[in-house]
Amino acid sequence: MALDPPIGGKAYLPQPCTLVIFGGDGDLAWRKLLPAVYNLNVDGVLPASFATVCFGLPSTEEGKTSNPDDYIRKRAREGIGRFSRQPLDEGHWEDFSRSLFYVPGSFGDARAYAQLTARLEAVDTQFGVPGSRVFYLSIPPFLVQQSVANLREAHMVAAPDEKTAFTRVIVEKPIGTDLDSARAIIRDVAQAFAESQTYRIDHYLGKETVQNLLVLRFANSIFEPLWNAKYIDHVQITVSEEEGLCQYDHSTSPPKITASRAGYYEGVGAMRDMLQNHMLQVLCIVAMEPPHSLSPNVVRDAKANVLHCLRPMTVADVKKHVVRGQYIEGDEHGHLVYGYRKEVRLYYDEIAKKPIPPQSVNSTTETFVAMRMFIDNWRWSGVPFYLRTGKRLPKRVSEVAIQFKEVPQVLFNNKPEIPLEPTVLTLRVQPEEGLSMRLVSKLPGPKVRLFPVQMEFNYSSSFGKTSPEAYERLILDVMAEDATNFMRADAVEAAWKFVMPVLEQWKSERVLDLPEYQCGTWGPLQADKLIEDDGREWRSL
Amino acid sequence: MSTTHEAITVPLAKVEQAIRGQMRDLQGEDDRPVQRVRMSNLVIFTNTPEQAAGVRAALPDAVAVHPARVILLLGDGTAVKEEITATVQVTAHRLGKNQQACSELVYLEAGGAAVDRLPFAVRSLVIGDLPVNLWWASNIPPPFGGVLLYELSENAQQIMYDSLGWLEPARGVAATATWLDSVERTTAGRWRVASDLNWRRLKYWRRLLAQALDEGSAPGAAESITELHIEHGPHAVIQAWELTSFFARRLGWQVQAGKVQTGVELTWRFTTRRGEARVRIKRLSEGPPEIKLIRIATAIEKKPCTMRLEAEGPFRLAVMLEGIEGAPRTITVPGITPAELIGRQLSDRERDPVFRESMAVAQVMAQSVLG
Repeated sequence: MALDPPIGGKAYLPQPCTLVIFGGDGDLAWRKLLPAVYNLNVDGVLPASFATVCFGLPSTEEGKTSNPDDYIRKRAREGIGRFSRQPLDEGHWEDFSRSLFYVPGSFGDARAYAQLTARLEAVDTQFGVPGSRVFYLSIPPFLVQQSVANLREAHMVAAPDEKTAFTRVIVEKPIGTDLDSARAIIRDVAQAFAESQTYRIDHYLGKETVQNLLVLRFANSIFEPLWNAKYIDHVQITVSEEEGLCQYDHSTSPPKITASRAGYYEGVGAMRDMLQNHMLQVLCIVAMEPPHSLSPNVVRDAKANVLHCLRPMTVADVKKHVVRGQYIEGDEHGHLVYGYRKEVRLYYDEIAKKPIPPQSVNSTTETFVAMRMFIDNWRWSGVPFYLRTGKRLPKRVSEVAIQFKEVPQVLFNNKPEIPLEPTVLTLRVQPEEGLSMRLVSKLPGPKVRLFPVQMEFNYSSSFGKTSPEAYERLILDVMAEDATNFMRADAVEAAWKFVMPVLEQWKSERVLDLPEYQCGTWGPLQADKLIEDDGREWRSL
Repeated sequence: MSTTHEAITVPLAKVEQAIRGQMRDLQGEDDRPVQRVRMSNLVIFTNTPEQAAGVRAALPDAVAVHPARVILLLGDGTAVKEEITATVQVTAHRLGKNQQACSELVYLEAGGAAVDRLPFAVRSLVIGDLPVNLWWASNIPPPFGGVLLYELSENAQQIMYDSLGWLEPARGVAATATWLDSVERTTAGRWRVASDLNWRRLKYWRRLLAQALDEGSAPGAAESITELHIEHGPHAVIQAWELTSFFARRLGWQVQAGKVQTGVELTWRFTTRRGEARVRIKRLSEGPPEIKLIRIATAIEKKPCTMRLEAEGPFRLAVMLEGIEGAPRTITVPGITPAELIGRQLSDRERDPVFRESMAVAQVMAQSVLG
């Protein structure tokens, strides 16, 4: 299945290049990036002159002793077998794997860059790549500065105006842990790459439904006239995850932890992990003004303007508009799962096998955030946007719900005996991408009885095939030099500026216990109160 | 015509996947999108395998009236196996020549302490943005459902229960009126009503009573009642009770005193606008669980008479005056199966103030016999 070009007139042509994945033996590459490239190969959208080179230290003992190319191909095959959207096909695998290579080496070792350069030149020759590279930095933030500096020192970065042997860099989130560190990363990358060469990825922006938001709003005449404070009561954006920090083996009693993300998540929390990036980016697309064209910078200007209009929070606002929480022991799919603090402790005891840091003993890292926010512009004046995200909630759902105002209190809306649900337009980002509209209809029969009904559009059932994964789309966008769906530096900074008062307030509070919620429930009671105080409620998902 | 997929037991985490798989299987070679029909989520709680089997048998007809995602729970606290097992079954209904629509049943069985974890499983399985109906199909009255019922009903817009066959009717009725006050909500967005299927069964009896005592056709009858006698089959005592409370509420009667002879009869004395009325609810030793006969001693245009209301075959209720020749007046009762009764109640989410008012009277009646 071919990925469609973006709407608009500009040609969308992925250019010949080599994709260089820093952290190519890491978890993200294994689960997402290599399966994404494989799917692009299967769909026939990659240029003929294309190769993938993984770079970084091996993650396993086997990787240290095996032939590097054989090793990475084995790893990739395993990852594709488990995580690919399309099943592994031997014919396509053969084609994909012969252009997949591995250069083991440390990001801080100049000699490794020399080896990488040599390998890339050989690959150029072998596959007819004109020296063009896309560097995908799938590495922790603290390694970015060093890696970029070494790329520059090794003369591996072309000038921004180089069109054939171009160099582009993809920077993975998190872009910092606060405003200062985000600025530092932006600055570090900018020392080697111009903004036009830099693609800060947020995979949410590559999802079909998120992209469809633009189409929905601006290609259908019925929505845009209603898309404002006059008709919209409020907007809810939810990112709900079933997963917590740990995965369990429930065949033992008590259950045994088999994997944990505590090393990454502890001290980061839901605000930094989800809300500051994914959710604010989605908010921007929901709330932006119509751009005058679809050229990347015009669209990105429109999105950035939303961030600039977010009402800044004072200390009092943080207390009034933001609720955080942490999960405690509960249930997931009929099995007992531990609370957050215990999972952190078990991670240090059983997986990291090192003493738990003092600040993590009674961790106050939030696994849930709910927030009420306002966009102070003409279109959205007075319309609350409610955002919530959390781990260990009852199900995995991401959606944007636009709730329209109630009809006047006459005809069908004047009797308390007859409930009248408001009209809601819902855009589902996951698990089943699509959209639905809830309307009120009359039940068949002589009496006027009202009942909510849904008009549904589901990508897979309407178009017959699964949508490309977000990473597929975004990698291809970089190859096609289309930055529309990537975060510009000013937008990253603006998002951090908005959340910093919350983070600083939380940091200054001496909180021993956060509001709690049981695993498998929809968050702390305080989050319900946040929205119920406004006479509204969280959507049932 | 419908086709039902073989039921498959799957891990709880794989339920949605299994439903999609069964839908694909039932779709066959047809490349049209599968239509999922569902007006709501129907969560049903049972606490014995027999109840669950009974409900399961009625489900195909119930969802034919009101398509729903059905999550049928069997929470058997006495079972030894302390885990939740999930079974999935999809049914495809033919719509016209080429199209078919699918509805799904998820059956969750929990034993021992795992019963308390059922609400977690339900939260992950309900379809968002659709109303949630909870059918409390246990014969434990809902006020005694405890934390489990509270948690299962947290997002429900309707809680259905069936007072047919409650073991301690007076206690159940007394507690239910208070429970209704706590469980029903009328604020926008937090709507929730509670409905007794027994009350729905009385719909045509109530209609006939109202018409029989209408001032136009029976002048003075409503105000002149001195005695009300109701006979019912086994397990239908609460039907008779609710009918009496409806009657008393509409006529403005006040409860004076009540007496119970367990398994035999209930009697009450009421103060009426013109004096006193006696009510006797008598249990028949056999027969279907329904009201069999109503006799009302009253006067029409000051002439004493006895009205007799009873079923005339399966599809009609009739009222006549005893001792007076003439054709009975009748109303037609559509043949409603138990499944249809449920299906219709699912679509009926309106708060019924008459039910609530009647239950308030029923509570006073219950307190008078409980002492």
